[in-house]
Amino acid sequence: MTRGKIIPALKHGLGVLLFAGFLALSGQARAEKVTVAAAADLKFAMDEIVAAYQKANPGDAVKVVYGSSGKFHTQIRQGAPYDLFFSADIAYPRALTMAGYASSEAKPYAMGRLVLWSAGLEAERMTLLSLADPQISRIAIANPRHAPYGQRALEALKASGLWEKIAAKLVYGENVAQAAQFVQSGNAQVGIIALSLALNPELAPQGGYWLIPASLHTPLEQGYVITKRAAGNAAAKRFAGFMENQAARTALARYGFTLPSESTGR
Amino acid sequence: MFLSTGDLEAIWLTIKLAALVTAILYFLGIPLAWWLARGSSRWRGPINAVVALPLVLPPSVLGFYLLIAMGPQGPVGKLTETLRLGLLPFTFSGLVAASVIYSLPFMVQPVQNAFAAMGERPLEAAATLGASPLDAFFSVALPLARPGLLSAGIMTFAHTIGEFGVVLMIGGNLPGVSRVVSVQIYDLVEGMEYGQAHRLAAVMLLFSFLALLALQRRQQKSGKGV
Amino acid sequence: MDGIIAQFALSYPGFSLEVDIALPGRGITAFFGPSGSGKTTLLRLIAGLARAPQGRLVFKNQVWQDDRAWLPTHLRPLGFVFQDANLLAHLSVAGNLRYGAKRSRGRRVDLDAAIELLGIGHLLDRKPAQLSGGESQRVAIARALAAGPSLLLMDEPLASLDLARKQEILPYLERLHRELAIPVLYVSHAPDEVARLADHLVVMAEGRVRASGPLAEILARADLPVRLGEEAGVVVEGEVGERDANWRLMRLEFAGGSLWCRDTGAATGERLRVRVLARDVAISLSRPTDSSVQNLLPGLIEGVGDDEHPGLALARVRVGKTIFLARLTRRAVAALVLTPGQNIWAQIKTVALLDQA
Repeated sequence: MTRGKIIPALKHGLGVLLFAGFLALSGQARAEKVTVAAAADLKFAMDEIVAAYQKANPGDAVKVVYGSSGKFHTQIRQGAPYDLFFSADIAYPRALTMAGYASSEAKPYAMGRLVLWSAGLEAERMTLLSLADPQISRIAIANPRHAPYGQRALEALKASGLWEKIAAKLVYGENVAQAAQFVQSGNAQVGIIALSLALNPELAPQGGYWLIPASLHTPLEQGYVITKRAAGNAAAKRFAGFMENQAARTALARYGFTLPSESTGR
Repeated sequence: MFLSTGDLEAIWLTIKLAALVTAILYFLGIPLAWWLARGSSRWRGPINAVVALPLVLPPSVLGFYLLIAMGPQGPVGKLTETLRLGLLPFTFSGLVAASVIYSLPFMVQPVQNAFAAMGERPLEAAATLGASPLDAFFSVALPLARPGLLSAGIMTFAHTIGEFGVVLMIGGNLPGVSRVVSVQIYDLVEGMEYGQAHRLAAVMLLFSFLALLALQRRQQKSGKGV
Repeated sequence: MDGIIAQFALSYPGFSLEVDIALPGRGITAFFGPSGSGKTTLLRLIAGLARAPQGRLVFKNQVWQDDRAWLPTHLRPLGFVFQDANLLAHLSVAGNLRYGAKRSRGRRVDLDAAIELLGIGHLLDRKPAQLSGGESQRVAIARALAAGPSLLLMDEPLASLDLARKQEILPYLERLHRELAIPVLYVSHAPDEVARLADHLVVMAEGRVRASGPLAEILARADLPVRLGEEAGVVVEGEVGERDANWRLMRLEFAGGSLWCRDTGAATGERLRVRVLARDVAISLSRPTDSSVQNLLPGLIEGVGDDEHPGLALARVRVGKTIFLARLTRRAVAALVLTPGQNIWAQIKTVALLDQA
């Protein structure tokens, strides 16, 4: 290269570098990351809510992890990197707040409902009593020891007097989603799962559901909390606020979550 | 009590499972390892890869596909129903079947290596001394492969005891049937019963360590001759 | 038919073997040749450890292989001694010996004779890992014999041993030679082993048999491209006769004359083999009277052939029934005008006895 061309080439290269650096840095300053831990039954509702939120706040990056509320609770106590925790049972967020792992009070966001669901049998024509039918050899529920929907399912079975009759037929999923999976694959003929799961687009076409009376179990008050870790995270606050938003409430309702202000101990 | 009845039940179940799986894998794995080590068919390569699959597949993935395969719509499920055996998921037999698949490479690979390391020479010597191939297998190959057989058994047993992902997917967490120790500990942790979880985990750790130590000593002794 | 017929043809990249020979049904037959000549392959084919697509193998009227039949190794009444003993590591020495004996299928088995013949009685409880190289080989030979085989195959049994061990075992092999009634096929690339042990010699090169016949006859052929070692020479078998106690010498009577050599203490009448190298044989037209060489034999020139160097020649000299080879310069041949049929004197400077270090 002749001397006449070197200097312009260097300037050009430097300019490119600076521009790229600016882009990278500015990108970091503007975008905020939020990691949400959400109960398994929230999958479809939450996906919609997050999509709506992202549209409204394109600069924030929201990631959601679905799983068992009990597991998330334990993990957050051990320092798991979640900013928000949407639990299937408000007891867990309350426990976090009491133990000092939260930076907000536990707030309810929905009431969950239990249903009977089946892929092979017509669940909408069943009642809990149908579970005693000898044709049904396996009933899937979430593990009562650490899954709120499992605990409520156990309560409902005991309250309806069916527990002794059908206890031997029970199989336990790690969470309510796995219980649904057992039913979906046909390994269990029927399951007690969350209404929200029965309504989601994946499962709904495969089978019908029957709403289990809410009086048979303690309410499934679902609550959330902002973790201590996310205390200074503006985006986390924004997202929590968004849950009051009309779009969010519509989504929740559509997927079978009655809203806290509407439920009065039915 | 130091351990609850639920814990003891889980321990007994786990040991039963591991022992049964190890025994079955000895029976199935040794001939397979023999063929893989010494055969010359072109199928050896693919079958080696299939045997090694459980090493790289995440246990939950394996469990998920086993659940579907063994279910009423899957090929295995349809077979078991035709044979009037019912369905395998949520049963102890189902767990055994899944564990056999999951622990297969832990049996086959060490045994295969032992057979390959032996080479042809001892078997040639046996043939010149009048031993038929079957005779040579039992009187020469197996004794010479003993260290490999032993470590394969230990690995298989230990691996099955530690199994979690597969059991979780197809076990259904039924006490006395599929609630093995790993699941029991998991439940205790999830249910925030940390004290009991610690105790159970400690017992399992101690047991495994002592078992491995004892077997190590025995191997060293037999290796030293007379 | 009393012997062995072996016909094999096989080839794979880099190597081919084509053999069609008849071997004697008694005594030691040595397969001799450089590495890669196919001698071990041939032995393994005879044992059934290798299989040629085309072959015919008959052992004393028993067909072991032909177009229709194939007798697997474990059904052939043979014993095999491997180059590195190849003892079964998980069994004791006694266990190894019993292994074959238990599978002898009705053949006469003599464990004690084998143990005694190879002198391993004190090793019976040891494990193979505790044996020295020489001891392992002796056990291997005893093991092969313990099952009462009708044919003994030995694949370079001394190749992996050092000189001292070799010398330790050779006497046992010679004893075997004397006392065994069964034929032995012995693969070796060591001239002194072949010279000491072989009755029949099969010379191989590049997968083919170059020569096959009695030992003395093959060795005396000056036209063979493959020689028994670097040095051309002959092996002569003789009987110990007279002794000279003053000078510590003994006389070896062979077919055609006698040779004086140092007295080794061998008993009178004992049969010994000696090796006479061509380079140690000189020719003179008249009987020398003041040479230091004591062994002077009258002989007849049978022929003069080329040696390796263009300046050298090998002369075949017949002394009675025995042939000697003499290495001379071509110049000497011309100077003495050596021609076939000529009477000469052979001066043999050194007689190497073949049962000494």
